[in-house]
Amino acid sequence: MKQHSMRISKSLLLNNSTKCFSTLRCLSTAEAVERRNHLYKLEKKRQLEKVGRIEKIEVNYKGVPKDCTLVMNKDISTPYDCAKHFSEWHIETSALALLDGTIHWDMHRPLTESCTLEFQSFNVAEPQQVNKAFWRSCCLVLGACASVAFKDTVPVVLHSFPGPDIRSGSFIYDVDLPTLPDWQPSAQELHTLAAEYIKLSRRKLPIDRLDVSEELALEMFVDNPHKTGQIPSIAKTNGKVTLYKIDKHVDISKGPMISNSGQIGKVAVTAVHKLTGECKVQK
Amino acid sequence: MNQADVTKLVSKLRIKVPDQHRRLRSPKGPEGRLDKLRKTVTGLIKFERIELNHHRADEARQYAERLISEAILHGDCHKPTMEIADYWLLEKELLHKLFKVLVPRFENSNTAFTKMYKAPKASSGRNIDKAILELRGNPYPLLTNKHSNNRYLLQNVLLDAAKYEYRQAKYAEMADKIGKNEEISQPKSDDVAKSKPINEV
Repeated sequence: MKQHSMRISKSLLLNNSTKCFSTLRCLSTAEAVERRNHLYKLEKKRQLEKVGRIEKIEVNYKGVPKDCTLVMNKDISTPYDCAKHFSEWHIETSALALLDGTIHWDMHRPLTESCTLEFQSFNVAEPQQVNKAFWRSCCLVLGACASVAFKDTVPVVLHSFPGPDIRSGSFIYDVDLPTLPDWQPSAQELHTLAAEYIKLSRRKLPIDRLDVSEELALEMFVDNPHKTGQIPSIAKTNGKVTLYKIDKHVDISKGPMISNSGQIGKVAVTAVHKLTGECKVQK
Repeated sequence: MNQADVTKLVSKLRIKVPDQHRRLRSPKGPEGRLDKLRKTVTGLIKFERIELNHHRADEARQYAERLISEAILHGDCHKPTMEIADYWLLEKELLHKLFKVLVPRFENSNTAFTKMYKAPKASSGRNIDKAILELRGNPYPLLTNKHSNNRYLLQNVLLDAAKYEYRQAKYAEMADKIGKNEEISQPKSDDVAKSKPINEV
């Protein structure tokens, strides 16, 4: 996947109403990201402590160099930990884990029961799910760099990332910029956004996953009116919201995601589109 | 000229053979070089896939190819061939493998018997080209990606989309051309139609 340039379009959701400022509690975007990261860490720690007495599970690994059985820790060990038992090649190329031949599992999600395990790289025989995870992760990272790229004076409210049109080779993230209603980015600004993206992907940051309750998710995204609007419908099925974290950026997605941002490679941010259709819905 | 056709006496190798041999420095001189190559050829026949320095792999590959092709050409009842095999294979049980396993495997093949890949270099230490040398038809998993034609691969999906876009653009261009031609041809027919009545009048 490395050294493949792709076209990205980044959508701008324009919301001219200043309604969202009332819930902002005067937090700048950077502070909100920091706060969310802190809450995420606390919750992660709490969930790890909740595991209590460590139980062992048997993981039957299938693949190169040979099939074998690993004894791992229940609710603590991840497929990534399993990959570390094999080689650097396994760590670097595995994007997703396949449990029992059917369930696609994140590399950084703890295993909950004994299972068979296969690693999925980008060139497996049936890469559809891996491809989807790839585009999803690209969107997540785009959101992360959109939230850090602007100055403190420009509030950035992330909306969501719709499923990309894979055939176009591009991915998008809807962002609400209340103070920049008619922003037309110059070539230099787009270049800066892309540079921010590449900086993030070069750090090879792991993409972490956590399931949290609806209340905590609402608390974390209290400064973001779009996300708080989405959370109840997401949590409707089982009361849980799945969060993904890269660096300090926390976002909602159903997943799965690829293992780390280094697998994304080079990209370029090519366009910012103005979205007006959604605007009315928001008002 | 009653000279024999050389190409029929010597088996032609299916790999590229350089003009000059490599020296493969050794304190024992040319003899040491051959010892090294004998070890490598023996290892290749024994393990079927080995990783080593590129120069030595490329040199030993030629001898291994020659050995196998001689074995196929003459069989195990030919004394000189047996002597050659005896010289090149340091472990004598490999003689049986050569004639009873490898000869049947490669008898009907029309490609080279061995395959060589570039191997990654060690990140630290001496900067020497590495290679992987293997016999074709070995039982190990493939070294290369066997799914490069899989149309669901990320790159192939994007390439297909690009091809489709290009084709659509071409079709649109052709449609435009046809449309223009019709526009040009239609006025002509009108002229003919107009001119005819004039002639009649």
